[in-house]
Amino acid sequence: MALTRTAPDRARGTRARPPGAGRPGWRRRRDAIGLVFALPALALFAAFAIYPMLRVFQLSLYDYNLTSPPVWVGLDNFRFLFGDDRFLASLGASLFYVVITYGPAVLLALVLALGLNNRMRGSAFVRLLYFAPVATSWVAVSVIWRLVLQPEGLLNQTLNTDIPWLTSSTWAKWAIAIAAIWKEVGFFLIIFLAGLQNVPKDLLEAASLDGAGALRRLRYVTLPLLKPITVVVLVMAVIRGFQSFSPQVVLTGGSFGTEVINLFVYKTAFASARMGRASAVAVLMFVLLLMVTFVQLRALRRSA
Amino acid sequence: MSTRARARAVLIPAVAVLAVTAACGSDDGGSTGDGGQIELTYWTHTHPPMNELNEQLIAEYEEANPNVDITYEMIPNNDFGTKMLTSLSNGSGPDIINMDDSALRGEYIPKELLAPIDPAAFGADSVEELEALYVDGTLDGAKGEDGTLYGVPSEFNATAFAINTQHFADAGLDPANPPQTWDDVAEYGQQLVAAGHEGFNFVYLHSGWYTQQLQTLLNETGGSILNEDGDGSALTEPESVEALQIWYDLIREDQVGNADTASREATSPFEDFASGRRSMTMIYPWAVEQIAIDNPETFENLAVVPLPQVDPANPSGRWYGYYFAVNKASEQQEEAWRFIEYMTSQSERWLEDVSFVQPLQGWEESPAAAEIPFLEVWSQAYQQGRFDEVGPHWSEVQDAIKAAIERSIFDGQPPAESLEEAAESVEQSVTS
Amino acid sequence: MSTGAMVVSRKRRPVGKVVVFTLLLAGGLVFASVFVYAALSAVKPADEVLASPMRWLPSQWLWSNFTLPFEQAPFARYYLNSTVVGVSVTLLNVVTCTLAGYSFSKFAYRGRNVLFFVVLATLMVPLEVIYVPLYALVFDLGWVNSFAGLIIPSATSAFGIFLMRQSIDGLPDELLEAARIDGAGELRILRHVVAPMMVSPMAALALFIFMTNWDSHLWPLLVGNDADHQTLPVGLAAMQANNLGSGGLPMMMAAALLALLPTLLLFLVLQRKFVEGITMTAGIK
Repeated sequence: MALTRTAPDRARGTRARPPGAGRPGWRRRRDAIGLVFALPALALFAAFAIYPMLRVFQLSLYDYNLTSPPVWVGLDNFRFLFGDDRFLASLGASLFYVVITYGPAVLLALVLALGLNNRMRGSAFVRLLYFAPVATSWVAVSVIWRLVLQPEGLLNQTLNTDIPWLTSSTWAKWAIAIAAIWKEVGFFLIIFLAGLQNVPKDLLEAASLDGAGALRRLRYVTLPLLKPITVVVLVMAVIRGFQSFSPQVVLTGGSFGTEVINLFVYKTAFASARMGRASAVAVLMFVLLLMVTFVQLRALRRSA
Repeated sequence: MSTRARARAVLIPAVAVLAVTAACGSDDGGSTGDGGQIELTYWTHTHPPMNELNEQLIAEYEEANPNVDITYEMIPNNDFGTKMLTSLSNGSGPDIINMDDSALRGEYIPKELLAPIDPAAFGADSVEELEALYVDGTLDGAKGEDGTLYGVPSEFNATAFAINTQHFADAGLDPANPPQTWDDVAEYGQQLVAAGHEGFNFVYLHSGWYTQQLQTLLNETGGSILNEDGDGSALTEPESVEALQIWYDLIREDQVGNADTASREATSPFEDFASGRRSMTMIYPWAVEQIAIDNPETFENLAVVPLPQVDPANPSGRWYGYYFAVNKASEQQEEAWRFIEYMTSQSERWLEDVSFVQPLQGWEESPAAAEIPFLEVWSQAYQQGRFDEVGPHWSEVQDAIKAAIERSIFDGQPPAESLEEAAESVEQSVTS
Repeated sequence: MSTGAMVVSRKRRPVGKVVVFTLLLAGGLVFASVFVYAALSAVKPADEVLASPMRWLPSQWLWSNFTLPFEQAPFARYYLNSTVVGVSVTLLNVVTCTLAGYSFSKFAYRGRNVLFFVVLATLMVPLEVIYVPLYALVFDLGWVNSFAGLIIPSATSAFGIFLMRQSIDGLPDELLEAARIDGAGELRILRHVVAPMMVSPMAALALFIFMTNWDSHLWPLLVGNDADHQTLPVGLAAMQANNLGSGGLPMMMAAALLALLPTLLLFLVLQRKFVEGITMTAGIK
């Protein structure tokens, strides 16, 4: 199976190796220039992301109602959360949403990207059809989807059912997932399409001449070469999923078992004015996502 | 906060480069401008007719007081609390705040964010003298626990009931004999359903709406959300369960309305009534005008009648209001109150232009009031109301109530059970 | 046969290709049906929008719904503000993310991986709470109610850096080495070797950043106080909360569709870049 070796060789999924001892001076100078390239972004991050993030970490140890000085409470916020049904329910709602929405959305996006990766005129139009939802704001999407999901709306009429999609604890989470898949597919489609441009055409031609069928080429050439981008897609899918907020706000307001973590955080911080507790949720979420991402990055590196 | 200051000391150099790029942007100076010019910031929620009147009144005030500049900012309803809290969190925020009584009594007064009213600005020698100008009890919506007054109303609402007279005729009912009790509503409702209409339903928007409607029923049954000490829930008391039971029976037992098909568009809370689908609804004064704009046909058949009662011999109702208040952190409180005095001195125009009642003594005898349809029903409603309960972390309490109502009305859980669950979370919210 | 190899087999397997295309088109039309419904709702008379059972076609076509947003709200101003912010943020991101992605991918300085992971970690805290300390910082910088406050905090993105790093990882090192041997400086290599080959991911990045920014609601709400600094989502939310009555719904739909146009336009302009890369990358030996 010559192909299995050829593809990764050609991919050269290369990232410069970490510095070893005794690098020549020119090499160190060049790497210093490389660091300078990262500086604008890093400066912005330091000020507008990392500093606020550290503040949030700090506030998680305080009782802070936003308008009076914070009061130190140690780990009380965390202790409360571990026994809070509402928080635990929101964790469950988020997990459900991530799996049920982003599993199908990513798979569908991959299939679509493979099918639409050509320069046919028609394909451009079809790409637009799939892309349009992700370009639409959730405010607009909600107005549309509430019409689609109402008891006598488009979905029930199409399926010939009589389901109260948005007003029952059984169905609301599925209804949101359906709308969210519709909206999110385009996002991953574009990333996959961009990634596919790194798959050299001549390699596929060579494989084809070697007698590899379409599925073989997919399995041994395209997918391995698509891996760096698949990493982005999977990591972003989990992060986007857990950071979800708008679909729940606009479709159910968090009712019927759809209060996801970020909605809980938002309400805790701004409606209940419990910024300390909201920060504690943020810290827990941070730890959770960090672990998941770390595992993802590791697992995907190993599978190379 | 010293940590923040230290963090900033480290970070600001990093940002300095960027600041150059951004130099164009910063135009938010101090609140006192040059040459003795007084700058006031004033925030309200969005409601186009009201916003327009505000702009007019501000223009007039600025013309009469050339040394005053008022920056008027309108913030979408749903975002008002978020925006206000964030800006108050670092001592900024507007000088003049226009807010509803629940937020004032629940959040802003207990947290000492507001300045007590300045009677002198209203030409009164004392707060009592100022209070005497208003209908009894209507200023309670802006009072602290100790009775200190923090604002005066821009808008004051009572609750009534609306019926579609055409639907009544369709069902062979007499519009001149509207339902007086909730039992009547159930009975009439079933006849209206038989005539092809949705008889009656509540409005299912956000937790505030759920809670205010339950509160209206609680006021009638004698139930309440919190116990007398305010440190626990009273939702499992029989009177409180009865309130949700009324709701439950109407929708799930007597089926006078279908909660699943009810419109949930915040753009149009009374959509179902306005569109002519629903025959009866609870209603507030400002909604009448909205229905008129929305669907003139329904407006023609609209009759405002007294709110149905559990005990017609002892009628009750629900009040809520929006008040002008002044940010305690404002450096120009005196000027702020002077401006508010001007705003309230135009109470006739509020009534005439935007149908807002500012409940000064004798408001219902003013020429503007005479133009209000169904004035006698409204003025009756203004006699017998109560402000909503509030307590610490009230939004969590409202969320728990909304969840309980949804479990009962949409998922079919018996009211006693769903309120039991709500009681637990209410208790947790007000005590932690 | 839906693989990236389709281009190759174009001449040999036209039937399969037609089948695949038809399937994709059908799926796309299903996706778009929701959208078409929205567009039709935008030109309906108010009382037909929520009519039940739902109907597709309006009884009369009210194109005037599309001018209402401009009459009833400073919609043009919101549009302008969103455009200024969106374009600035997008350009800044393409520059900062490409630079940082290149740096994280092709250079080997100490702490590089840690820095990258820290950048990635910033994605993992809910923005809703981040905004509280961020607002305090932006206020102290004097950027409340200014374009600086709307633009600068969004001038780079962890997602963008991640995307660019992963994409640049795919570039063969030999290519860079060859340029270096020819005496090119690092910036020159970035501009003339790396960037031209990263057109696809950069286009994707630009699109996403623009889109995210265009749809961002909470931060612009906090930072912008007056109509001169409010963006479309804030304006739309205000319109939605205005108790406009059902007459407001078609106008909302129309406003939402109008708000969508720039993103679609950008997509149409950039989407060729997503597939044009094919031949370019393939040409590299």
